[in-house]
Amino acid sequence: MLKRVIEQSMDSPKATLAVICLLTILFATQFIKIHIDTDPENMLSADQPDRVLYDGIKKNFTIHDLIVFGLTDEAGAFRPATLEKVSRIIDGILLIPGVITDDVVSLTTTNDVTIKEGQLEVRRIMREVPETLAASEALSGTIADNPLLADKLISADGTGIAVYVPIVAKDQARRIGSEISSLAGRELTEGQKFYLAGLPIAEDSFGIEMFIQMGIMSPISGMMIFLLLWLLFRKMTLILPVMAVAMCTVILGMGLLIGLGFTVHIMSSMIPVFLMPIAVLDSVHILSDFYDRYPGIGDRRETLRQTMDALYTPMLFTSLTSSIGFASLLLAPIPPVQVFGAFVAIGILMAWLLTITFIPASIMLISEDELQVELGKRRGDGSGMNGKLQQLGQFAFNRAAPVSILAVLVLAVGFWGISRTVVNDNPVNWFAKDHELRIADRVMNKLFGGTYMAYLVLEGKADDDMKRPEVLEYMVNLQRVLDTDPAVGKTSSLADIIGQVGYVLHDKDVRWRKVPDNQEELAQYMLLYQLSGNVGDLDKFVDYDYRSANIWVQMKQGDNRIMARVQHRLLEFTRANPPPGDISLRWSGLTYINKVWQDLMVGGMLKAIVGGFIAVLVLMVILFRSVGLGLLSMLPLTFAITMSYGLAGFAGKDYDMPIAVVSSLALGLSIDFAIHFVQRYRACLIETGGDLERANQMVFGETTRAILRNALVIAIGFLPMVFSPLGPYRTVGVFFALLMIFSSLTTLCLLPGLLRLTHGHLWTVGNGVISTSGDN
Amino acid sequence: MHLSRLKTVRPLLFLLVLNCVPGEAIFAEPDAAKLVADSLQAFYHAGKDMRAQVTMRLINAQGKERKRVMTMLRMDTGERGGQRYYIHFQNPSDIRGTTFMVWKHLEREDDRWIFIPAIKLVRRIAADDKRSSFVGSDFTYEDVSGRVADDETHTLLRTEEIAGRVTYVIESEPKERADYKHRKSWIDQSHGLPLREEFFDARGEKVRVFVADQIELVEQHWTITGRTMKNLQTGHRTQARFDEIKYDIGLTEEMFTERYLRNPPRKWIR
Repeated sequence: MLKRVIEQSMDSPKATLAVICLLTILFATQFIKIHIDTDPENMLSADQPDRVLYDGIKKNFTIHDLIVFGLTDEAGAFRPATLEKVSRIIDGILLIPGVITDDVVSLTTTNDVTIKEGQLEVRRIMREVPETLAASEALSGTIADNPLLADKLISADGTGIAVYVPIVAKDQARRIGSEISSLAGRELTEGQKFYLAGLPIAEDSFGIEMFIQMGIMSPISGMMIFLLLWLLFRKMTLILPVMAVAMCTVILGMGLLIGLGFTVHIMSSMIPVFLMPIAVLDSVHILSDFYDRYPGIGDRRETLRQTMDALYTPMLFTSLTSSIGFASLLLAPIPPVQVFGAFVAIGILMAWLLTITFIPASIMLISEDELQVELGKRRGDGSGMNGKLQQLGQFAFNRAAPVSILAVLVLAVGFWGISRTVVNDNPVNWFAKDHELRIADRVMNKLFGGTYMAYLVLEGKADDDMKRPEVLEYMVNLQRVLDTDPAVGKTSSLADIIGQVGYVLHDKDVRWRKVPDNQEELAQYMLLYQLSGNVGDLDKFVDYDYRSANIWVQMKQGDNRIMARVQHRLLEFTRANPPPGDISLRWSGLTYINKVWQDLMVGGMLKAIVGGFIAVLVLMVILFRSVGLGLLSMLPLTFAITMSYGLAGFAGKDYDMPIAVVSSLALGLSIDFAIHFVQRYRACLIETGGDLERANQMVFGETTRAILRNALVIAIGFLPMVFSPLGPYRTVGVFFALLMIFSSLTTLCLLPGLLRLTHGHLWTVGNGVISTSGDN
Repeated sequence: MHLSRLKTVRPLLFLLVLNCVPGEAIFAEPDAAKLVADSLQAFYHAGKDMRAQVTMRLINAQGKERKRVMTMLRMDTGERGGQRYYIHFQNPSDIRGTTFMVWKHLEREDDRWIFIPAIKLVRRIAADDKRSSFVGSDFTYEDVSGRVADDETHTLLRTEEIAGRVTYVIESEPKERADYKHRKSWIDQSHGLPLREEFFDARGEKVRVFVADQIELVEQHWTITGRTMKNLQTGHRTQARFDEIKYDIGLTEEMFTERYLRNPPRKWIR
């Protein structure tokens, strides 16, 4: 039936093109509904237990999204002139709409309680800007004496001051951030710098970088592919349709995604990048074949019929396998990855449909005379490449044994590399090293307690459980354990607050910086703390029923493996020292959440890749009606994946979200060459009556040329992505090249010899076996 | 403003207002500053002294609440706007016996003391901020003990009927920098108490809303016995109920000293 569609498109080419154009325009109109989602929490589904807990914690402990503003002064921030500027900047921040002014933590908005001559003093930390250097330094000393403020508002070396700005909604982060930037920009002079950190800013920046990627990098890749196609085929009227197919596929795929109401997440923003090369692949095979046949036939209609006849089955199967490769992502329990997989899978099938209609239709629109002139004289073209390919084919055919041994060795090296892989991710590292966010991340984490937040939540069974002295004692012990990890910059808890109250209340006697041994004293300290004016503060550490408490764990590094290390350290302690009574412990916070979805991802991707591999193998066995040929055809794919991931392992590249997703690309793309190769090899074998060497020579003509062309177009076409500002795109760019190189090398170098060695043992062709092209 | 004068003025004003509501236009526009001063007097200075059982419910954005029960004693010192407050916490039980005392001064920082029974320690507290939270609630010290009319400039915006009561709507702007840029109050024309107040920050955003939930006549004084303050930024709110109110019970300044901080006067505190 589908072959009828091809005929139809050749019969009425103009109508075909018109229908496709109309459809594309229709889908393009959906783009106005685009909704960007850069919230990493959405990597988990809304009902995932860790996410539910985190949402609960944010509500329970009134934790708002924060922008952290940091100012550094090489000459020391605690000077009257600098403090004056800080004070003005804070005043300005309080005027910005969307800032929760009541909860801003800063030198001029937060209270500190001290004691002087037996009298408690409740004052803004910096009530007035000090007039002298000595007074400024005294102020810094006072802050350093309060563990709730030290390393938070000022850096230990006195060069940095921070302001914590809670905001009403994440999607206002960029606007508020830029208003803070312009405030600070007006004030700062030489030697003074400012930084904006915090997740909301990072997320918003991600959205912008995503648009840059989609709007600039993808089109550049498109142009590159266009250029390469022109160099290979040198006929504008033939390569424009190829580009049109790629464009239409991207628009149809993204239009469908947006139109169905899905958000464009960091994952789905990569769909165009994945669809483009896949859409180009089939077209290159058609053009290659057409170029080879046309001079001998001289009739475009007849040539197309033969070309489509020969390529129909391999194209259908390569599309199916690619589609299955991406559909396998549905096995990964991460919603954005599932959406990505599903829509690339759909896009691939749309690309296939477009290729088999659009390309023949547009070739039909070129006049026969023009084709005669252009292609007739190109007969000898590429003969140099032809000769080389024939030599390679001959070599691989004859030296089967040494090539196979070498291949086994290479594969072993690949596995060795894989064994060195470190599973790790940190979304901040997706930005380029010199991105202002990465710089802010480095500076702020050097100066202050740490910008990566994790929460360790103690959950009791009854109200007031968190007022029990033994529970607070245990909290102190937990903090002590956590503080031993070098990545943990600072921990704060209800116990710290109570200790500070006791300390101040007893004339700054450090012996009283401890947890009282009775609930009354504890409760009265908490009341006193609330009397001091920082009302909301207490709520950040203990919930309203005193049933659960929250230890803030600030980390200087946000890598998942660091989070895992901290978790492990704590687990060792709690195994030996279980919490008192009915208290249970749970981790939360974004740094932890990131680790959760990574764990899900690693397990999920393993399932996806194994599932995909089996599905593709089954398809191959069906296609070739031979288990042996099916297994052989899986070799290029196996090599491509093993070698690419092995190299990543050797290069010390962490196995992160982008790298994990690329494995589906490997499944889908690397099988293509083997399908085309084996399919043609078999057809040739039948044609030559079982002459292996002759069949090999025939395959090392048009088919291998098409394979090489495709490998080149995709490997080089996506090189510009290496310059992308976002890590995931760079990874994808490099992997496109690696996968193409390894799978084409394996196909061209290993398959000829192995096919010869295994013929008659693993598979046979000839005796009554019907060529698949004959079924068509 | 002296109490003796108020006592005679008040019923008069009351009658006057009752009579003239429909034909208000025939009177000259009242002076906003005077309306505010009278309102402050009615709200915070009724009687020579008072005692009340106060129940505060601190309710967070999720609707979870913490309840605090305290006895509040108040007396006016006679000096301009000067007051003494004595607060004795009874509930929750683990803070029972904690006492808190404020000497309110108009011209300078208030004096505050706290007694922490668990360690039997009295500490004096110096604080420069009358606009900080009163015992962790959404009310500030000023909300509980009143402001000074002269600290703000007042403009009568209009009259308006809310919840069936006719009110003056007055906008007040602090002369010196404060935690709010301006506030609007709806002052009941009959008894002078504010039925509603809205506080705006420097950005012009409404940040806190006060509502008088219940007003009762107690011993000839119209008294706000139920009140709510809501923080619109955090969604947090505090509801306060005043029960067992008694005016003119004969408190003396002696009662507001450190000695009684440690040993609550049994006569007034149960």
